[in-house]
Amino acid sequence: MSLAPFTSSEALTLGVELELQLVSTHDFDLAPQAEDLLRVLKNHSGAWDVKPEITRSMIEIGTSIQREHGPLLDELNDLRRQLSVGARKLNIAIGGGGTHAYQHWSAQQIYPTERFHYISELYGYLAKQFTVFGQHVHVGCENGDMALWLLHALSRYVPHFIALSASSPFVQGVDTGFDSARLNSVFAFPLSGRAPFALSWDEFGVYFDKMTHTGVVESMKDFYWDIRPKPEFGTIELRVCDTPLTVAKAAALACYLQCLCRYLREEKPFEPAEDDYLVYTFNRFQACRFGLDGEIVDPKTKQRHKIRDDILRTLARIDEHALDLRALDASNLLRDSLFSSNDAGALRQQRRAGLKLPAVVEWSMRRWMD
Amino acid sequence: MTGLSPFANQASAPLWTLEGLRGANPVLGLALLMVLAVVLADVLQRVARLPRPLGHMLVGALASPLVLRLLEHSELDAWKPLIDLAIAVLVFELGTRIRPRWLIDNPTLALTCLLEGALAGVSVVAALSAFGVPLLSAAVAGTVAMSTSPVITLAVLHETRPRGQVTERLLLMTAVNSVLAMLSLKVWHVIAASGEHDLLATATGALYVVAGSFLLGAFCGLLLDLFSRRVRGPAALPVLQIALVTIASMLAVQWTLSPLLALLVAGVVARARMRHGLTVEPQLGTAGAALGVVLFICLGLLLTLDHLGTLWPWVLAIIVARAFGKGLAVALLARPSGLGWRQAAALTMALQPMSSLAVLLAADTFVWTSQLPGLDKSVLQALLLAITLMQLTGPLWTTWALRHVAREADGENAS
Repeated sequence: MSLAPFTSSEALTLGVELELQLVSTHDFDLAPQAEDLLRVLKNHSGAWDVKPEITRSMIEIGTSIQREHGPLLDELNDLRRQLSVGARKLNIAIGGGGTHAYQHWSAQQIYPTERFHYISELYGYLAKQFTVFGQHVHVGCENGDMALWLLHALSRYVPHFIALSASSPFVQGVDTGFDSARLNSVFAFPLSGRAPFALSWDEFGVYFDKMTHTGVVESMKDFYWDIRPKPEFGTIELRVCDTPLTVAKAAALACYLQCLCRYLREEKPFEPAEDDYLVYTFNRFQACRFGLDGEIVDPKTKQRHKIRDDILRTLARIDEHALDLRALDASNLLRDSLFSSNDAGALRQQRRAGLKLPAVVEWSMRRWMD
Repeated sequence: MTGLSPFANQASAPLWTLEGLRGANPVLGLALLMVLAVVLADVLQRVARLPRPLGHMLVGALASPLVLRLLEHSELDAWKPLIDLAIAVLVFELGTRIRPRWLIDNPTLALTCLLEGALAGVSVVAALSAFGVPLLSAAVAGTVAMSTSPVITLAVLHETRPRGQVTERLLLMTAVNSVLAMLSLKVWHVIAASGEHDLLATATGALYVVAGSFLLGAFCGLLLDLFSRRVRGPAALPVLQIALVTIASMLAVQWTLSPLLALLVAGVVARARMRHGLTVEPQLGTAGAALGVVLFICLGLLLTLDHLGTLWPWVLAIIVARAFGKGLAVALLARPSGLGWRQAAALTMALQPMSSLAVLLAADTFVWTSQLPGLDKSVLQALLLAITLMQLTGPLWTTWALRHVAREADGENAS
């Protein structure tokens, strides 16, 4: 199977996908009720989409194509409201967070579709361990070359998104010490990490052909890269974010990416290079482990900065673009969050206040639903 | 086995003979039955995948007047406080397991809960009336037919550990229809008494039972919250729970209230107040689990098949009409309340185990006639036969529904 041609789409358009957790209102453990919620939401009134995910305690929602922060937030709020009503009807709670704090992976059930059963057979227990919850943001590109250029230019900002969205400190009942422990589950997949350095669609096509001839991959879906091109949509897809605890944060993160892309496209502050990836995994680890307090290395100057400071400087640089894209509210929300804490910090704060983990999960569900 | 004192009735015949067992020390006899029940239930579970509560009941049936006559029904009255406690533990647990707020969040579900109980009752009354049964007697059968056995529901849930929509609805409907049955029985008493007694006094009495049970349950739930704040360590809370459940149960009986309602309310209030601080072990721990085995043995001992040969049309009418009523209500409101057709079928099946708790939990004795004066004896026997059949096969219905139809049992749908 050869690489599909890159469908042209309007530059800087946005699409947001959120993987959400379904929990029981009795013990606040994951509840395998995705089919029930999908049935209840079958005739929802929004332009958004809702579909199953790998295990039966997850669903994924996707917004329609958006251009600005306001309408995106409105749509996310609409789907949040309708999902919450549906969940209440079924006596379950729904919410964000990159991991469920104490679910046991072996208790999860694979959602009954051909694709998910294939993944389960291929990856074994990793498939069930993949019961983690991320936010994916699509950004429209006019052609494949621009998509790949943006994909690699964005690589140095990947730690920003990890640190800002981090909301998965607890795994299997334990505080992992990581702000985003979710990405550790993604690392376990053989085709995770970063995309190969190719700046033209033809060059990328050669790589894709080689991989399909090995029999290791069949389609782009088999790559679990942090950022990957999505030729059928005409987008690049950022996949490193944990699902935030609120839709406001999800919208803000999406618009931060939109503003960054506009800044990179219009100002071209640097040319992406293969050597940018020398520090990529170190920076990524710092963001996962320490969140906003992590230190990253600038691939060009080799200087170290706190991630928080780097985001602040970047927000200042892209303010003009945020103004043009009517995304200043989104920038301000993220700027404010830098001085309080990310969602991982908020969850730990609840735990430190003496709440049991089920109560922490209930608190996070309420933040999303109410 | 006769008498309750461990020192009474030393057997003259060797213990391994039937006569020896009949004359054995009752505590020893019960312990032997428990051993046999646990072993047989385990074998049946492994070999034939039959639910354990069914094995426990079969051992009880084996010891009952039906087969070996190790014990007469009347002799079980002495064990009633212990059995009541075992039931109380399960009903309290049911109370902690449900979330009444769901009825507000999903009004169609609330309607389903009311309708499935009511339609089951009405269907049974209509079916028995068609057979020429007096209305007042048919009404009792209809009332008892409304409820699903909380005991069997909880026991099967402990064993299969299901998670899903059918399970949640089963728990809620079991609680609601048991309360409905209890309330309907109070109304029946008022109507039955209207001819010969003071109607106002009977109605006031019924109101006293409902309000008193509610208050007692709420008070015990609040007390559990209060005391649990003052104890530390994981072992203390289950002991506190058992103690308060015993107190609530005993006081309810002493004050002629409804233990069923009081314990359900106690569970609901305790959960609402304590939220994540309330950890409820299945059957409140191992002591409760042992009581559960005793309970199912006793349910087996109480089974009756007398006059089945002549009363089978009435028995069949009760079972079929009840299933029809429950199924119709669940199916009518399945989609609007957010349930799939397959799940509706599973829920209907899981609601089938019958219960006599609405009558017996408030009584001093297992003799029904003392609770329901004026009831036609044949109707009563037909009702008891229906309960016997739907109680004995109950674990099978519920397990099959949750495991194979709804596919919600532990790991059933796991790949």
